[in-house]
Amino acid sequence: MDKLSVLMLSWEYPPRVIGGISPHIYFLSKYLAKQDIKAYVFTCDFPGAPAHEVIDDVEVYRVDSYKSPSPDFASWVYLMNMNMQKETATLIKKIGGKIDVIHAHDWLVANAGIGLKHIFRKPLLVTMHSTEMGRRDGLHATGEKMIHETEAWLTYEAWKVICCSDYMINHVKYVFGLPNDKLVMVPNGVNSHGYIADKDCQTFRSKFALPEEKIVLFVGRLVYEKGIHILINAVPKILSKVNAKFIIVGSGYMKEQLLNIVRSMGLEHKVLFEGFLDNDNLAKLQKCADVAVVPSLFEPFGIVALEAMAAGSPVVVSDTGGLAEIVEHDLTGVKVYPNNPDSLAWGITKVLLNTTYAQSLRNNAYRQIKEKYDWEKIAQDTKRIYEEVLGEYSKSFWA
Amino acid sequence: MRAIIFSWEYPPRVVGQLSEYVKALTTQLATNKVDVDIVTYDDSATGLTQEPSGVKTMRVSNPVKTHIGVLTWVLTLNQEVERAATNIYYDADKKIDLIDVYDWHFIPAAVTLKNGLDIPFIYSVESLEDHRSPTAQSSYNMAIKSIEWLGFYEAARVNVKSQWMKEEVMRIYKVPSEKIAIVSADPDTWIGDILELYSSAVVEATK
Repeated sequence: MDKLSVLMLSWEYPPRVIGGISPHIYFLSKYLAKQDIKAYVFTCDFPGAPAHEVIDDVEVYRVDSYKSPSPDFASWVYLMNMNMQKETATLIKKIGGKIDVIHAHDWLVANAGIGLKHIFRKPLLVTMHSTEMGRRDGLHATGEKMIHETEAWLTYEAWKVICCSDYMINHVKYVFGLPNDKLVMVPNGVNSHGYIADKDCQTFRSKFALPEEKIVLFVGRLVYEKGIHILINAVPKILSKVNAKFIIVGSGYMKEQLLNIVRSMGLEHKVLFEGFLDNDNLAKLQKCADVAVVPSLFEPFGIVALEAMAAGSPVVVSDTGGLAEIVEHDLTGVKVYPNNPDSLAWGITKVLLNTTYAQSLRNNAYRQIKEKYDWEKIAQDTKRIYEEVLGEYSKSFWA
Repeated sequence: MRAIIFSWEYPPRVVGQLSEYVKALTTQLATNKVDVDIVTYDDSATGLTQEPSGVKTMRVSNPVKTHIGVLTWVLTLNQEVERAATNIYYDADKKIDLIDVYDWHFIPAAVTLKNGLDIPFIYSVESLEDHRSPTAQSSYNMAIKSIEWLGFYEAARVNVKSQWMKEEVMRIYKVPSEKIAIVSADPDTWIGDILELYSSAVVEATK
């Protein structure tokens, strides 16, 4: 029998990196290939990246992502899907239709996934990484409703809907009214090998903090849902107990506002806004930080907490969404009340003042990452889902 | 000969003159022993699914009801048109000779069906964006023009109603003269010309 083959559809794949889907597709398809699966990735083109290449045994095709003017982002998405569908259909025909399953990621490739499903009569799976309802905290504008309905349509057309946390499974079940047996949870992965950073942090940390200062790290977009303002409010409470430097990595619409608050508190020397950092420096910072904080108000998964845990930072997270599942309180990290600066300050202070405790959190977290969020295991789980779907499909009149 | 016709209006849905024209066309095709399925739009799913002439009608509705404009509306509706056409194709043991597409609306579906399943299509032109919105150069108009361009590029043949339209298609989209057929409204020759065009498109596609 031929190898099981999957057609992966994603609007981003390295070097095109916009959000978390890009690394997700990269690792998932790479590890699926190691599970003896033939993986084809179809994605948008990117300046300088070839239209076709083989990366880690994965066939990567970059399609013309529609470059004529389009009225707005959502219209572009549908126009891009028109091109993606045409080019993907052409290739599948060329290889004699040898595709077993189609795996689409988010509404950004909804039309292409649904179209190809019907053209070739192959089962469609979708991973819902997020929802419009969650991103916008409700549906307020026409465009948001349109995207929400497109997401609902995509999950309707899908044989199985994969989510990265139990929290997202419940969320997706509720917002799209999906039956239980259509939903399956596969955690997101983290590549722990990629995070083995410089053991000697002394030189590196001196770029950011004085020797007597502990480093508190925040990584994320500076937007409301990430709860960065909660951390800023907790800063004076933490400083009254322990000397620390707060390093904020990322950017977003709240940046100016946050800078003003920090200035008015007179804490500019304690809170550093670093903007974006390259992967190498970010990994080092995660390795050398005394605590990594994820104070999100809405978080479908919480990959940033996993990355910090894999790099060896103790983590303090708000007890919400996917974060609540990743962290086991007092064992692999500290959970605090969401939207509560006092609780957050308590958690951070606890980790900073007790190095034995911090070290035990580090060790336990790293062990759990290796067991639960390992890409090899995730690829095995995903392969099992493909096989299960193909088993059901083989009994359908499409087979 | 088995053909599928894509038109965004078909009785009882009448937006412009296209609706009645397509109705007359399908009836005549059926009389001339062409197996015809029509895929059209109707959110309230009214009208017959099979007419006395033998023409079968598939009315699809938009899977996404809320839209920010005609463009997004058309592009999601296209997926249902595509789905309906694949059902007809597989039910007919993959024996569909061609698709006749009326105007730009359902060009995206026809293009995917051509590239994925080898079903050639004819682009039948009622009007062009350049004439409908002569002064409008917004990104919205540009996107519609890009879909028209894609249709002309991918079509096996192009069907126009007058010498003037043929020249316009050649002028605006640089379509080669031999790709374009003029089928005028002369009641004596009309259906014969259409049948000839259909046959030529099938021959063209096998090249």
